[in-house]
Amino acid sequence: MPILTIDNQQIEVLKGTNVLEAAKGLGIVIPHFCYHEALGAVGACRLCAMNFVEGPVKGIQMACMIEAKDEMVITTTDQASQEMRARVIEWLMMYHPHDCPVCDEGGECQLQDMTIAGGHDIRRYGGKKRTYSNQDLGPFICHEMNRCIQCYRCVRTYQDYCGGTDFGVLGTNQRVYFGRFRDGRLESPFSGNIVDACPTGVFTDRTFRYRTRYWDIEEAPSVCPHCSLGCAVIPGGRFRELQRVRGGVNKQTNGFFICDRARFGGGYGNHPERPRVPRVDGAQTTWPEALRALRKRITDLVARHGPGAVAFLGSPRASLEANYLLDSWAASLGSRRIAFDSHWQHDRSARVAAGKLGPRAASLEDIRCSDFILMIGVDPLNEAPMLALAVRQAVRRGVRLAVIDPRPVTLPCAAAHLPLAPEALPDVLEALAGGDIRRLGRREAVLLEGILEQLRAAERPVLIGGPDLLGAAGIERLLDTARLLASEHRPCKVMTVLAGPNSFGCGVLARQGPDFEAILNGMLAGEIKALVCLESDPMTGSSDPARTGMALGKLELLAALDYLPTAAAHHAHLFLPTTAVPESAGVYVNNEGRMLLFSSAMDPGTPISVSGGGDHPPRTFLPATPGSEPRPAWATLGHLQGRRLSLRDIRQAIEMEHPNFAGLSSLTTGGEGKRIADISPPPETAPEIPFPHSEGEGTLRLYAMEDFAGSGELAGYASALAPLRPTPFVMLGALDAKQRSLSDGQQVRLRSELGGVGVALRVVPDLPAGIALVPRLRGTALESYVPGRGHYDCQILSEDEEKT
Amino acid sequence: MTDLLPQNIHDALAAKAIEHLHPREMIIEVLRAIQDHRGWVPDEGVELAGQILGLTPLQIEEIATFYDKIYRQPVGKRVIHVCDSIACWSRGAENLYLYLQETLGISPGETTQDGTFTLLPTCCLGLCGEAPAMMIGLKAYGRLTRERIDEILATERAEAGA
Ligand code: SF4
Ligand code: SF4
Ligand code: FES
Ligand code: FES
Repeated sequence: MPILTIDNQQIEVLKGTNVLEAAKGLGIVIPHFCYHEALGAVGACRLCAMNFVEGPVKGIQMACMIEAKDEMVITTTDQASQEMRARVIEWLMMYHPHDCPVCDEGGECQLQDMTIAGGHDIRRYGGKKRTYSNQDLGPFICHEMNRCIQCYRCVRTYQDYCGGTDFGVLGTNQRVYFGRFRDGRLESPFSGNIVDACPTGVFTDRTFRYRTRYWDIEEAPSVCPHCSLGCAVIPGGRFRELQRVRGGVNKQTNGFFICDRARFGGGYGNHPERPRVPRVDGAQTTWPEALRALRKRITDLVARHGPGAVAFLGSPRASLEANYLLDSWAASLGSRRIAFDSHWQHDRSARVAAGKLGPRAASLEDIRCSDFILMIGVDPLNEAPMLALAVRQAVRRGVRLAVIDPRPVTLPCAAAHLPLAPEALPDVLEALAGGDIRRLGRREAVLLEGILEQLRAAERPVLIGGPDLLGAAGIERLLDTARLLASEHRPCKVMTVLAGPNSFGCGVLARQGPDFEAILNGMLAGEIKALVCLESDPMTGSSDPARTGMALGKLELLAALDYLPTAAAHHAHLFLPTTAVPESAGVYVNNEGRMLLFSSAMDPGTPISVSGGGDHPPRTFLPATPGSEPRPAWATLGHLQGRRLSLRDIRQAIEMEHPNFAGLSSLTTGGEGKRIADISPPPETAPEIPFPHSEGEGTLRLYAMEDFAGSGELAGYASALAPLRPTPFVMLGALDAKQRSLSDGQQVRLRSELGGVGVALRVVPDLPAGIALVPRLRGTALESYVPGRGHYDCQILSEDEEKT
Repeated sequence: MTDLLPQNIHDALAAKAIEHLHPREMIIEVLRAIQDHRGWVPDEGVELAGQILGLTPLQIEEIATFYDKIYRQPVGKRVIHVCDSIACWSRGAENLYLYLQETLGISPGETTQDGTFTLLPTCCLGLCGEAPAMMIGLKAYGRLTRERIDEILATERAEAGA
């Protein structure tokens, strides 16, 4: 490890560290633009000049381009390097329009900071400035090219890191231009990252345009609730409204970037119909009244029918603390009827992952550093977007990626795709785990042999699977496979994508408890009279919405605690409003078992944009903030048990009861989080769960799949995401389409047990025969097709056939 | 399409692209083919190149706008690239550049009324030994003087059929 001297201070750094980073380690921050930890050094901006006095290189050099070496003596405060930096920043600023007062970046602009830090304050250039025409880049990002200082960070983010192909660098020298071929929405699902990456105001968040200055926005480090990866995000609120989300840094998970679902999907908490006041039997009431009513009704039911008459439903989008308190409440009443995910198959998958993943769990960082990746039954861009980027980083280093999945798994990188029907996946897993490879077709067997060979040869292989097509049984087999492939010297890690941000935590809490299917049966049989839903909507969340609706109708008491205007919240006899994620603190356990702390960025309240309808808010005077009734679910659940608990108390109680969560109460916000300890007893003989699919005959087997912006519960309430939601479509293989004389783009009729709907046909050349795919799209006719519950028998007819 | 690229050339390029390990390396070749045929590369030409090479229009445009010998705007029948780099400058290129502007009656970047000549500056043509230099189409001219320029323009004009 080289030791060097910068400004008379010595520092030892890791081999390969550049001098700019080394100086940062000493607290010496030299102005720079083009260097970015995730993007690397390119020496484009010429700003980071330092004077190399002794050592292998001499003179004024760009510090970001020089690797730290022993014996280097460097100064940053000498006249030559200071003057160099001042001149460079002066050139960079030559054409700048000086429009900070109308620029959204103002106040959080690296260009402002570095210009001053670089020693340039008064403009001397009096000539004509070059000006650009800007482009319309769609609903999410504004373009103002005149502010560009040519650091190339945007292209390096968009093309190199994220794999986008519709945005880049055009022109040469003083006409260099960063944009698209034509006006139009940036197509990458990670497009918003250029807003964070651009050090100046060329790219700003259009959804946040002219809303708030940096010093007026309330921000806090948080965790993204839109999928199970637990990426670090920084939500920002003002005027009682979540106004924007930007990427946070967690080197073990997302790194520096986030997906557009997270960035532009934060508006669910601002929803105009969000229920904000406690309600009993349809009438708004006060907190004490509502709490008293709920307690009383539950006590009465327990007295009349015994504790088993009351069931509880936790949620993968509720914090660990709230789920835990729901569990302890159920226990204190003597009810063992509690499940933590209304989608019972997802629940079972999470339990397997939580019970068996242990130290084999791969983080996104492990994936970025892996040397062979096999994805089976997982569709990253739609299920866990940042996973697609992690995989891309490995592929950029030349790592091979094999994908086994019936879906047309689109990725921002090259992959070898083996499209096998869902029914063939168990055989594949079997074969990977040393079983009989001959059960597969010949072509498949050969390909699989190849994959196995690479898996065995790799030093840091990672297997990745998802719950929708593998189910609990498949996830379990995937873990077995990894165990078989690993040796003492060669780990084989696994990533299992789960359903929600806290699925893993719920999986730990659930232990041997019943799943929602059992609770559903209890409700239908009339044994269960009451259901308490914590931030969970079984009406749309369960894998059988129709039967769930029926069961809920039979209840004497449906109680809901939530921050979304869900169907369950709407129908609940008793409703208690809770705070949304950016308004509360808590812990999520991501899909690798990493406990991640999120803190509260803002207080709840009806957004002024909602109460004022775009105008001045009503001029009424109230002692409290309008719409500020929502309380954190954990506080309410503590209250219901007659306990006044702080988050700290709850976390300590969790640690006592579940030793896996050791370290929970010492987590800090904005850190990398902490893996839960691997001491959970593996689920005693988990129930024999079949694969989520079986051979069907005759008709087509239809599988629902996740959609980037259309399927998620929270995303469904975020209106800004609307431009990303596709119109309903169904996918069919080329052969199946031909047999039915159907062609790509044609309007067809899809008929199944759920009824008939008109959708557009997409012909996917290599989709396996006999299956069809639809995205689950909330708010459309495809809403009730739930991924991860097996197939629906379906027919696809042309519109004319339908008429005859 | 035929006004962008003759069918036979299109097919040949498409066939070559399929065989090519890195079709990106053919961007200039395809753009030049379009330019040779059409005189310049309109937006549709960029899109066509993308189709042939399996790339997005942006990926083509990045290259097309990098090189000043790919014309993304209509130009005259002959494009004059006058070197404005240091060796030529030291041998009086500036004056010759002005002379060209006067003679043709246009400023840099413009095209003569009759559509024959477009005048553009270029960086070093590698003809420093024969400075001052310029290039018209693919033909290079060194040791320029006013007289030589008059002759060259006359020949080029005649060849261009004006
Ligand atoms: S647009 Fe922004 S990120 Fe891109 S080169 Fe210009 S200043 Fe850098
Ligand atoms: S990948 Fe998942 S956790 Fe990460 S930012 Fe996107 S939705 Fe959020
Ligand atoms: S940061 Fe070193 S040259 Fe830009
Ligand atoms: S400087 Fe003009 S040809 Fe080299």
